[in-house]
Amino acid sequence: MSEPNDLERLKALDERLAKLKKANQPGPKVQQQGHEMANVAWRMVTELVAGLLIGFGIGYGLDVLFGTMPLFLVLFILLGLAAGIRVMMRSAAEVQRQSQEAATAARNEGD
Amino acid sequence: MSEAAHNSEGLVFHPMDQFIVRPLFGDDGVVGPLTFTNAALWMLVAVLMATLLFVVGTRGRSIVPTRVQSIAELAYGFVHKMVEDVSGKDGLKFFPYIFTLFIFIVFSNFLGLIPGAFTSTSHIAVTAVLAVAVFLTVTIVGFVKNGAGFLGLFWVTSAPLPLRPILALIEIISYFVRPVSHSIRLAGNMMAGHAVIKVFAAFAPLILMSTIGLAVTPLSILAITAMYGLEILVAFIQAYVFTILTCVYLKDALHPHH
Repeated sequence: MSEPNDLERLKALDERLAKLKKANQPGPKVQQQGHEMANVAWRMVTELVAGLLIGFGIGYGLDVLFGTMPLFLVLFILLGLAAGIRVMMRSAAEVQRQSQEAATAARNEGD
Repeated sequence: MSEAAHNSEGLVFHPMDQFIVRPLFGDDGVVGPLTFTNAALWMLVAVLMATLLFVVGTRGRSIVPTRVQSIAELAYGFVHKMVEDVSGKDGLKFFPYIFTLFIFIVFSNFLGLIPGAFTSTSHIAVTAVLAVAVFLTVTIVGFVKNGAGFLGLFWVTSAPLPLRPILALIEIISYFVRPVSHSIRLAGNMMAGHAVIKVFAAFAPLILMSTIGLAVTPLSILAITAMYGLEILVAFIQAYVFTILTCVYLKDALHPHH
């Protein structure tokens, strides 16, 4: 139970802990990948459909209001589609930025 | 119900019956604005469970937490980190709201997995209220923080001038896509999984009717088990997705120029 012995043991424990921590760190990110991708896909699909639905709703409402049946319906479905694609592309860009950030973070950690 | 009695010979498929909102008291079956329904009951149960976990569970306030207290602390830390990571330090002011949303959705989703329970989050009426609340919060916060400059979100200055009104229209529609997709996603996920389980469950009693049942019944029971496992995942993941998207929208309102 002499002091230097304790210090050595503590140092060895520190090293082991550091090694274990490093081994554990990248784990969860890799495991989540499958679910995350499915979620992103599902999110994009709902965004596209929601855009179309909103376009349809606005167009139909305006047509009933003004009595110009197919005009605004066609126009706003197209606009809704464009809006849906816009949101979809934005979330795709967001996912891309996240994965790039994760990649740079991993590279920095590897150095 | 009466139809089920008529077709008692064949297989009975009523996968959507579990989502019917029924009044708990009285037999007239009329759902008024203040009727106490099964949906209301299960939302109350969710609130009650959350209260049990966070008020009663952490009553000891011990430094070394008990099991229930550490569940509460883990949930708190999980959402706190998520809000801080996604919407930044100034988003933490909204942490109580986001945490409340997360806990309510998690409890509703998991309580809906108890056989015979009612999944309140499978109704768009419920999820739309949550999504519209988030939408209003985010919009109001955006206007309060940035003033009229928040409208710059819809006015694309990098485009040529004649195109801007059309682009503004598209941007406004895409802004309204958020609450719609936000609510459809949660309700759709919860409803679809539960309906699939019910369809498999309808195949299960086939063994009582014909010899094909010898093969079909074990298969359908296996499928129910697998779907149930998947639903446990979905129940958590959808609550997580709802919360993290709330954080993303909040970030857009706090820092609209990114």
